[in-house]
Amino acid sequence: MFNKTKKLILTFTMLTILNVSTAMENHHTNHTATEIVINDPWVRSAPPNAPALGLFMQINNNTNHDIKLLSVNVSGYKRIELHKTVVQGDMMKMVKQEFMPIPAKGKLHLKPGSWHIMLISPESVLRKGDTVMIDLVFDNGLSKTVRAQVRNGKKMTGNHHSMMY
Amino acid sequence: MNNKLLSGIGVVALIIAIFYFTSLNKNYQDLAKQLKVSYILHNPNKGLPFFSLIDHNNNKFDNNNFKGKWTLLSFIYTHCPDVCPTGLMDMSILKSTLIKRGVNIVPNLVTITFDPARDTPSVLKTYLTFFDKDFLGVSGDQVQINQLIKPFGAYYERVVYAKNGKPTVLKNDEPLPEGALKSGYLINHTAWIYLLNPDGQIFAGFPAPHDPITMADDVELLIKNY
Repeated sequence: MFNKTKKLILTFTMLTILNVSTAMENHHTNHTATEIVINDPWVRSAPPNAPALGLFMQINNNTNHDIKLLSVNVSGYKRIELHKTVVQGDMMKMVKQEFMPIPAKGKLHLKPGSWHIMLISPESVLRKGDTVMIDLVFDNGLSKTVRAQVRNGKKMTGNHHSMMY
Repeated sequence: MNNKLLSGIGVVALIIAIFYFTSLNKNYQDLAKQLKVSYILHNPNKGLPFFSLIDHNNNKFDNNNFKGKWTLLSFIYTHCPDVCPTGLMDMSILKSTLIKRGVNIVPNLVTITFDPARDTPSVLKTYLTFFDKDFLGVSGDQVQINQLIKPFGAYYERVVYAKNGKPTVLKNDEPLPEGALKSGYLINHTAWIYLLNPDGQIFAGFPAPHDPITMADDVELLIKNY
């Protein structure tokens, strides 16, 4: 009888802990979803033997504080680095970055010729139309998981001869 | 008498030469004013150095490969995730645009690697033909590539990052430190696209970033007025 009561209490306690942690997790996710919004994440389609791929997106920071993108995790790559292409005279310099700054109530646009995430030594190069899960880790303790699509970096649109990224 | 005659011929030849080069430069000066996104780099007195490299089909590629045809040329490295793929795509769009316009002369697409140690002919073939089946990649001896890029005003430097994140910049004639081929390195570089004339000379240059549609206007104009 005593054992049965003990088991019941233990089960109740376990369920309560589980419930609270799930609620906390949901709260955390919702919190993140509104504080940081990622728009249009994409990987540039590349040759089958490409040693490095570019990952681009727009990161919106809806908080009142500056935040930093510290790291990015994508499975299937030997190394992932944060980079910025800097133009100095005629030289195009690819400069490795410790972090990417996203200003309070502002955004950072990762695009060709500017900020980008470099996916190095892919196990296999994705094809156009494939999608890949990306984990972004920020300095405010938040992280964000998004699905990026593989597509061409540049294309001609309609008859207007305009270019788009 | 003979000396006087020779002097006379010499003076006339000099006047003709001055007139020819002045009018030539004048023509190109007028042409230069009409260009939207390119610069005339033509210097008939300054040719390319003699070079002998290897194309992506393992054939010899030397000065003769630039003769008798127009060529669009760029310098790249395949470990580049941003600037080089963009430039290659631009070259391909430029070529397609000229074809769609029905022009008589569409230049060949050639790309020479800054980084032959990693970009072998077979690596270049797989990499470049993804962007356009008509690309011809060129690899070969690093020292010859270093000589060849000089008259183009092209330049590169390799950047090796230490484990603590500290970058070391190596000029193109400095050897790579041990293990750098395996651990990897980046290359800072110029990213112009060049138009070579059928005499195998540099004729015009397009600085980055490129707008291939406007570039096509200039290429048409440059070829028409050559």
